[in-house]
Amino acid sequence: MANALDEAVETAEPKSDVPSSPTEEGTVVLSPPAPPPDPAVATETPAPKPVPSGNGKGFVSTGIPIPNRNTAPADAANHPAATLKNRYLIFPSMPLTDLDTPSASAYSVEDRREPGRHLFALICTPGLPTRTRTMVDLRSQVVRGLIPLVDFGPVHWSPLGQSCQVVILERPLGGRLLDAFIDKPLKINEYDIGRRLFEPLAKALAELSALDLPHRAIRIDNLYYMDKDRTELVLGECVTAPPGYDQPQIYEPLDRAMAIPAGRGYGHTTDDIYALGVIGVFLLLGYNPAAKASNEELIIGKAELGTYQCLCGNERIPLPLIEPLRGMLSDDAKERWDTAAMEQWLSGQKKTPIQRRGVTKPKTPYKFAGRDHLTPRTIAFSFSKNVADASKAIKSGKLEMWLRQSLGQPETADSIAATTAMTKVHEGSPDGSDDILISKICMRLDPQAPIRYKGFAFMPDGFGAALALEYLRKGNFQIPGEILARDLLGYWFACQSPITPDLSAMDRSFIALRNFAKINEVGFGMERCLYELNRSLPCQSPLLQQSYVDHIDEMLPALDAASEHVDKRSRPIDNHVAAFIATHFKFDIQPHLKALSDSKEETSLIGMLSLFALMQWRLSKTPLYGLSSWLGGLLHPAIGTYHSRATRRAIEQEIPTLVRQGSLPELFDLIDNADRRTKDRADFQSAQLEFSHAEAEIQSIIGENIDQEKIALQTGERFTAMVGIVMGMVSITVIIFVKAM
Amino acid sequence: MKLHQMSPEQLEERRRRGRSNLTWMLVVGTFLLVIAAPTMIVVFFGMLPTLVAYIIDRSSQKSATFCVGSINFIGVFPYVMDLWFDFNTIDAALNFVTDLFAMLVMYSAAAFGWLLFMTMPTVVASFVTVLQQRKVAQLRGEQKKLIEEWGGEVAALVEIERTEQREHHLEDGVSGMT
Repeated sequence: MANALDEAVETAEPKSDVPSSPTEEGTVVLSPPAPPPDPAVATETPAPKPVPSGNGKGFVSTGIPIPNRNTAPADAANHPAATLKNRYLIFPSMPLTDLDTPSASAYSVEDRREPGRHLFALICTPGLPTRTRTMVDLRSQVVRGLIPLVDFGPVHWSPLGQSCQVVILERPLGGRLLDAFIDKPLKINEYDIGRRLFEPLAKALAELSALDLPHRAIRIDNLYYMDKDRTELVLGECVTAPPGYDQPQIYEPLDRAMAIPAGRGYGHTTDDIYALGVIGVFLLLGYNPAAKASNEELIIGKAELGTYQCLCGNERIPLPLIEPLRGMLSDDAKERWDTAAMEQWLSGQKKTPIQRRGVTKPKTPYKFAGRDHLTPRTIAFSFSKNVADASKAIKSGKLEMWLRQSLGQPETADSIAATTAMTKVHEGSPDGSDDILISKICMRLDPQAPIRYKGFAFMPDGFGAALALEYLRKGNFQIPGEILARDLLGYWFACQSPITPDLSAMDRSFIALRNFAKINEVGFGMERCLYELNRSLPCQSPLLQQSYVDHIDEMLPALDAASEHVDKRSRPIDNHVAAFIATHFKFDIQPHLKALSDSKEETSLIGMLSLFALMQWRLSKTPLYGLSSWLGGLLHPAIGTYHSRATRRAIEQEIPTLVRQGSLPELFDLIDNADRRTKDRADFQSAQLEFSHAEAEIQSIIGENIDQEKIALQTGERFTAMVGIVMGMVSITVIIFVKAM
Repeated sequence: MKLHQMSPEQLEERRRRGRSNLTWMLVVGTFLLVIAAPTMIVVFFGMLPTLVAYIIDRSSQKSATFCVGSINFIGVFPYVMDLWFDFNTIDAALNFVTDLFAMLVMYSAAAFGWLLFMTMPTVVASFVTVLQQRKVAQLRGEQKKLIEEWGGEVAALVEIERTEQREHHLEDGVSGMT
């Protein structure tokens, strides 16, 4: 598991915020899941080889970013086929590298019910959050223009030695769109591009938009032909990685491109249309016009010139396509074409041209980090990369002066002055650090941009996936925790204008998350935030390393299975398990969590047992022998809460019987029976009183201040006096009788 | 309560009650002397050992007085009966108190009373001590059983009482010093 986790981290590692060179971007690949890991696979693009069908190497000269694919087959003898839902056989020994995605490896699949069906499986990267809810929607809905998703679920993947999410898709018989250009230039002329590219994909996007499902993985290497004749072009899968995670930066709108891959956010259909516009430019020109620009240059170019101008400014774009591309590549999401506008254009109707609004030019450029900046957006972007220099620049007051005098934005200057002053007030505390100051200043300068803090850049709707990946990489929640604690999300929302209902709802949900993060109890904290934000994320507990638990129903069986290979002295619950249960279990478990967090071991154990018992009662009636045995072995301190030794012995003797039944509710009833506990308490109080009375009596006889001999003697004297009196009375009576007779 | 533990007011009350009792005794004694002078003469002289016992018995229970008095009265009572049934005159009474045999009988009874009081309490005390020891052993046994069944916590109340007593003692000690 550790290796697999490391692999997953390594896989994510090259997806840095801004790759250092444009060639890197196109060569980020998924580490092969087959052990032993081959480091060579995850390296940079090797030299082009002749006609490597489908792996993209043939298109290196075009500058279009295309991932390399090379999954090594696993040994069939050691790695038998995995079975999903007792229906789909997935063969580790038969990889389909042509169908690999950056985050998932493709393998052959056989459908037991329909043996002739053309399917393939994508094995997702373990630990990487997948879009499970989207999978559910796409499994039940047929979306024309999207590769059909047949089924999905976790399987035990022997090459990785752990359970992984697998997605079964219909196999595109015509291969990738790129495969159609193996023996000819990668270009579609202006007359065909509408019919061959935009029309089928716009329809697919319209259907996805109706389902409120942004695709967020539209790139040239993710387009397929479903038929052998290559007439039916479809979008590839979009569910094996977080939204936008697999996208090279060029396909992302400016704001989302500035975020780390995992933090690009759920997005909207307009973001898909932007990506479609980029593909359109590539296919129209036959190459990437921005291939020579680094990612940083690309972002600055897009910010200063606009995307269309940046990509097509020096190119010859056919006149009928200028307006559509300008609409699709608009940097203002509100102005950008939506699916209705696409439909209108494709049906031949004219659309009102987008008004060109140039960026407000400053009187003089602002010099920072060796560059002349013309817009606050690029300044914010550069500030986030050079925090120490940015802090000096802000504190010197030059930025404020430039905004007032050169750019004519006194409101922005005022807000920056206020933010700087507020940070000075908190100097010495975490709220007054340079990182916080720069993060807030960047939000003021570029409110649409992602939140950027210590290199962790994310859109608010991408915080969940970014948080998950950050945890996956570093094993802690340090930076996301600081972001929540410093309320940078709240600051971002405060910078937005206007505040839409969507933004308000998101702000409220983050306030709730912040409250969760503040609570330092089991079932809360950052783990709770992780699962609240990533509801399809499998439980990351080390206890469940070999399982894939992404649904509450699977938790108890997984713990039951885990009981076979864990140290039984450890508890079957940790922060991850508790947070996962608190997130997914729909019943009120606050009292259980409260007890679980109690500092007293026995209370905590009873809280844990009651929680699991409730779960078994509500979710599963199947016996849990392993978990019962595991819990039964830990319950000694809980049994100790009974005062009566006889009751304790009776409970200890009964535990094995209940363990053999596998019933946690029965076990809980045995340990924490209300009647038994009440009786025990009452009897104990009686026993205490009895003991106290006995002690009082003993002290009255042999107490510290009591002279036992003297008391005995006094008793003797009293007794003697009584004897004397009785003798006197008897004698007098006898004398009277004698005299009287 | 011992004398040295009494407050001045309590001591004064005790003295006042003592004087009152003495007054009543003198009144009743004078009354009885007037209406039954022979009986009173015999009883007074015959019960002198009891008076001595009363004086030397410093215990609050006055067990020695009761013991000696009861037995002493057995020796005096036959002569009182003789007075009541034969000649109830002062001469007859004086005859009895000057009769050595009669006085020997009366004082021997008192001596027997003393003998009884000197020997019997020690024997009874030995029995009492044995009984108390048995009682303590029985109670300790019960406490042991309680601890076996309920654990050491069953003595919590006793421990709390002891702690309170100690605290009280310490507080008293400190307040006594101040």
